[in-house]
Amino acid sequence: MFPADFAYVRARTLDEALDLLDEAHAEDQEAKLIAGGQSLLPMMKLRLAAPQVLIDIAGLPGLSGGGGWMGSAVGGYLSYTIGALTTYRQLARDPLLAGGILRSRNENAAPHRAEGIPAVTDALAVLADPQVRARGTIGGAVAHGDPASDLPAVLLALDARLTIASRKGRHPETHVGPYPRRASREPSDIGRREIILDDFLQSIYTTDLAEDEIITSLSIVSRSGQASAYEKFPHPASHLPLAGVAVAVEFRGGTSTDQDGNVTSHADGSIAQAAIAVTGISPRPYRARAAEAILKGAFPTEETLAAAAAQVTMGSADRVSLLGDQHASADYRAHLAEVLTRRALAKAIARGGRSS
Amino acid sequence: MPAACEVPVQVTVNGAPRAATVPARTLLVHFLRDHLGLTGTHVGCDTTQCGACTVALDGVAVKSCTVLAAQADGHEVTTIEGLAGPGGTLHPVQQAFQDEHGLQCGYCTPGMVMAIRQLIEDHPDPTEEQVRHALDGNICRCTGYQNIVGAALRAAKAAGPDTVAEREG
Repeated sequence: MFPADFAYVRARTLDEALDLLDEAHAEDQEAKLIAGGQSLLPMMKLRLAAPQVLIDIAGLPGLSGGGGWMGSAVGGYLSYTIGALTTYRQLARDPLLAGGILRSRNENAAPHRAEGIPAVTDALAVLADPQVRARGTIGGAVAHGDPASDLPAVLLALDARLTIASRKGRHPETHVGPYPRRASREPSDIGRREIILDDFLQSIYTTDLAEDEIITSLSIVSRSGQASAYEKFPHPASHLPLAGVAVAVEFRGGTSTDQDGNVTSHADGSIAQAAIAVTGISPRPYRARAAEAILKGAFPTEETLAAAAAQVTMGSADRVSLLGDQHASADYRAHLAEVLTRRALAKAIARGGRSS
Repeated sequence: MPAACEVPVQVTVNGAPRAATVPARTLLVHFLRDHLGLTGTHVGCDTTQCGACTVALDGVAVKSCTVLAAQADGHEVTTIEGLAGPGGTLHPVQQAFQDEHGLQCGYCTPGMVMAIRQLIEDHPDPTEEQVRHALDGNICRCTGYQNIVGAALRAAKAAGPDTVAEREG
């Protein structure tokens, strides 16, 4: 199987990639960006996609790898920025994300064990297969907009934000916080905007990404006392989730000190807030807000978790639209989502919260 | 460089530089087989499922039916032909397949060997579960996998002392 004919060009810089997108559009040609190509190439071979120009951005400098945890440990809120071109394999080998031994640059400091984010580790272990994980990228996973993809559900539960580059002035720039340091070395006519993943994902293979834009990085949030897990029911041949559920549960915690200096811990085992993201069963991965509301402030008893799981096909107001096809009916997928929600919540809660 | 339908591709294959100008849509597996004559890499499903086309790209196992030859330009590829040592000494994974009878028709074998080579590099002392998990992307229609898993475990044991010696060496 060959893809339909196309022209190929490799971009050396972000600036050049944006130029190439513009050139293609000026000539009225459909252009696609390719990084790992693990979703795009199979679609092109089946002729479900037939771009006329393929712009290879895999080698763009500075868009690969994790940037480390940033934020205030006092507030217990940390964010982690990941370059859009980071492969699943790289993610799985990043001890800050996947857990593992962390060695300090200071040779005298003893290596310590990083906790990582269990939901990320769970997803990376069951996502496609090792060879695909060696090529597929996190930016590609969200840009593709596949209704049945694993990582976007996990990212959604971790309140992911995307940073998107384009020519300055074309799109509203809503950049908050400090610019990445490398921005200063870029030509000044590259603009950036930020968008939360929940707003970015729209429908089947449809996202908020405009034709002249490139996702450059993603950031996820981890809070102190957070527990997480991802559970999926894979299609046995494709490994795609017929249903997948990512949860991030934040336990009530913190301490207060009274006038006499007595410290009281507020950790009582109750849930401060919970995030539940579902993939594979509707046109886009979504946050199960009604189920989340049931868990807010509740104690994680079996009954409460079951009550929350029973609401997992509810969006913020209405029931989400459900997908059914030759692989699984809509009702079956909804049933799977409920079961997987119970399992993911139980798994996360059994693991307990992050200590830092 | 303007976008082109014919692209020059320079790849170091099994240590030797190879170059050709090919249609942009040429897949790496066809570049290896049709342009370079390296037919050890097989095309099985052509849909990124079976793993028969597994090669190492810059040392990491990938499915060459889902990589464009153009994407491999400037990179290094190792195929099954590049594993055996001088004089035809089999690679430990190849030897283990022979010893454990890890194949019947042999069609999936090159991909299995390349995938297991990656596994042992990542996990020098894998458990049986890790082996089965690592072979998630490789399908065999004959063996039922039992002897393939056995070959992987044997290869890891065989490679063990050497790997440690190399590291300490």
